[in-house]
Amino acid sequence: METIVAAAHIDQAERLIDISFAHIDACFYNGRAHLDFVNYMLEYGATLAVPSWTNNGLVALNDLSIRDPLASREMDEARQLMQAYVKLGCNPVWTCAPYQLPDRPELGAHIVGSESNAVSFYNSVIGARTNSYGDFLDVCAAVTGRVPYSKLHRDEARAAKILFDVGNIPNTIRRGDLFYHLLGHFIGRNNRNLVPAIVGLSDECNEDDLKAISAAGSSSGSVPLFHAIGITPEATSFEMAFQGQPPVQTIELTPGDLQQARAELGGNSKQALAGIALGTPHFSYAEFDRLVKLLNGRSIHPGLVFYLTTSRHVHHQVRQQGWIESMEQAGIKIITDTCTYFSPAINGLQGKIMTNSAKWAYYAPGMLPVEVVIGSLSECVESAVNGEVVLDQWVAE
Amino acid sequence: MSRPASNIETRVLIPGRAMGPAMVLDDTLSFWGGFNPLNGEIIDVHHPQFQQLVGGSILFIPRSRGSAGTPGGIAETLRNGSGPLAFVLGEPDVNVSVGTLVANRLYALEIPVLEISLAAMAQIRSGDFVTIDRRGIVLAGA
Repeated sequence: METIVAAAHIDQAERLIDISFAHIDACFYNGRAHLDFVNYMLEYGATLAVPSWTNNGLVALNDLSIRDPLASREMDEARQLMQAYVKLGCNPVWTCAPYQLPDRPELGAHIVGSESNAVSFYNSVIGARTNSYGDFLDVCAAVTGRVPYSKLHRDEARAAKILFDVGNIPNTIRRGDLFYHLLGHFIGRNNRNLVPAIVGLSDECNEDDLKAISAAGSSSGSVPLFHAIGITPEATSFEMAFQGQPPVQTIELTPGDLQQARAELGGNSKQALAGIALGTPHFSYAEFDRLVKLLNGRSIHPGLVFYLTTSRHVHHQVRQQGWIESMEQAGIKIITDTCTYFSPAINGLQGKIMTNSAKWAYYAPGMLPVEVVIGSLSECVESAVNGEVVLDQWVAE
Repeated sequence: MSRPASNIETRVLIPGRAMGPAMVLDDTLSFWGGFNPLNGEIIDVHHPQFQQLVGGSILFIPRSRGSAGTPGGIAETLRNGSGPLAFVLGEPDVNVSVGTLVANRLYALEIPVLEISLAAMAQIRSGDFVTIDRRGIVLAGA
């Protein structure tokens, strides 16, 4: 409670409010301090006041062999950390895409989100209300059931301030899945910490596309809330998104902006392709469906590694379709509970790696010995099958 | 070129005392993913101060960044002794503050967090010697 009150002081909040749900990031190991904190909470007999779901951990609990065995002390502490949060009473969903699971919060619900893509998705796509809480404060909020009534919990802070217009981007680009990753990256770079609204998105835009904007924007910058006019629930109209005020700035995107975003995240080089990494944030059922169709029974080129991360829940759904078996036979290693861009490296993830995720492309080069190429899901699949980078037409234009 | 030491008005987010050389970040930083808490190194390849160490500095950060791992990264770098002696922010940041609060509770470390205006921050140069007292008064000069 002391921490919650300190946070209220920092935010200059006049009061606290109740929350109905928390997504906990503090179970992701980044050193001994994480373990010391949860053990401190357990020693003092802390219990949870609201349903609390876990983000990814550093290790896959059901397959401890996928990371560097030399990092075993770290791995052991990471495993202990995950188990400590189960002991504290968390629902062990182990996913950075908890919004893909049933029973998600409703429009207007006050909740605690922590992992940055989940914060953005909950606020923007579902219309639940959360600030970017971060490790430890997420746990303190789950234990007390309360947060400061500040920032994105309040109506006025949710108004869009800056407009991103994608109406001039050709449809051929605007309909592709990579477009949303590049757009999110661009917005995170250019929103000046203001709530952005996007106008001109295709009606075919789906939750995976909005997930891409959430994750990419929160990697290159700070986008805990965005509105997509005509698509997201607090932006059925332009006036509603901006709460009746004009935008302070309008940015019209050009194909050149997207090319630049693509180059920043990882263009192609002459080095040989070593592998593929998909599922950041965790792959959804719909993405598996698309992947299976794109693969169309073909196998991954021998010598490449192909990692795909997802939640246990989606893994179970996909297994019932028989897809896990067929994808593993094709050469795809499917991992639950964790993500692949954090060190210590997943075995074999080095050299030139291709991904469809702006978030993976943004973070991995700092943490792993990799050079990244970003591409659409279809480009990743064609590259995986051919054993070399295969890109679509507009890249070269 | 030497400049006289000057007092700077601040808002105290987390009180404490510290003194040391300023390090002024040119861009915001994620303390998870963009930072190595073992040695205090900036590992975000997109950051203008990529590969620089923040340890032992009074760290000035103009803007905050919504990274969930920031408190964990900060508590861990402080535990390792590779972190800054104080944080001075251009806007209030709960996540930076919580990281230092937890380090205080678990490891009895006193790491102040202050907020100053961007105009005041623009007067600070990396290498300036900075003193912070518990009332939050910052004295900085070359």
